[in-house]
Amino acid sequence: MKIQSIIVEDLQVAADFLKRFCEKCAVVDVAHHFLNAEDALIYLKDNVVDLIFLDVEMPGVSGFDLLDQLLYTPQVILTTSKTEYAYNAFQYNVTDYLKKPFTYQRFLEAIQKVSKKSEQQNGNSEQDHLFIKSDGKLIRLHNDEILFIESMGDYVKFITPAKKYITHNTIKNLETKVNPQVFMKVHRSYIVNFTKINDIQENVLFINGNMIPISKTHKSGVMQKINII
Amino acid sequence: MYNEEQKILFRYSQELDVSYLQELYGEDLQQAEMVFESSAQQLKSELSLAEARFHDGDIPGLKKIVHKMKPLFGYIGLNKIMSEFAAFEQECAQVIEPASVESGFQRIRMITEEALQKVDTETKRLKQYNTQYL
Repeated sequence: MKIQSIIVEDLQVAADFLKRFCEKCAVVDVAHHFLNAEDALIYLKDNVVDLIFLDVEMPGVSGFDLLDQLLYTPQVILTTSKTEYAYNAFQYNVTDYLKKPFTYQRFLEAIQKVSKKSEQQNGNSEQDHLFIKSDGKLIRLHNDEILFIESMGDYVKFITPAKKYITHNTIKNLETKVNPQVFMKVHRSYIVNFTKINDIQENVLFINGNMIPISKTHKSGVMQKINII
Repeated sequence: MYNEEQKILFRYSQELDVSYLQELYGEDLQQAEMVFESSAQQLKSELSLAEARFHDGDIPGLKKIVHKMKPLFGYIGLNKIMSEFAAFEQECAQVIEPASVESGFQRIRMITEEALQKVDTETKRLKQYNTQYL
């Protein structure tokens, strides 16, 4: 799967240069380029990305101000022409720090760091549980407790037999965080626990009496995953 | 049509940091052409803005533009200019009176104009090469 990214950079030349490297490496998709942090923040309110290429000094909101205002933490590669920000970069736990202009080789090294970090994060999803933030606390949910996860715009609902938990997240983000051995996205608004499916009829599946649509895009994936005798 | 064996390698002008440019663009001379062209355009427009800020006595504004111009020289193999711009950016951070930075400003203006001539020449060479061989 490609790394979904955005570029936040007020220097058009630098953004074009970076876009070319992203195309060349073929593992990074650039969804958008923003000339200022304000526009990027608006986009990031409704969209989840894996990676932000972020300039530090921009007119108005700086790159670090943007990081302070983010509601979730994608990976960040700082792109700047100053080296003085290295300490701040360390504090913000950014994945890498590229001094402009940088070579293709240096860019690839940064992307390798991003991939490695993603693998580590996905490795964590092999666990048998996850923590969600709901009602002001972190709640541990075992995979086996969760029937399915439903999208509610900027929020998602975790459905368990006993209770429903609402948390600030998106299906797109969770898709990469949950254990793929147990969970699968069946629709843009639903991730289901595969072990909980009671039956499937055409483009609908049932879990504990709940009817969940299966989209055309995900139908073949669902059929491949279930064990039909 | 050219014969691949007869194809000559592009050599950047000796006035530029040749090994750095080779490292930056590798064999992608289309990217080099694109970046040289857009760097020149942006340097021209930023220089006009810098002049306006200087004449308005807006030193913080001038500093921001100098900061923005600085990496552009790197993309065109004029790395030494980047350090001159970094020094002028520092100077702008320390003074309030426009008169204090006048000589520095005139110097970076002259450097930029000279750089623009070099980059225009190199862009033409790249364009010609790319048209011939790509």
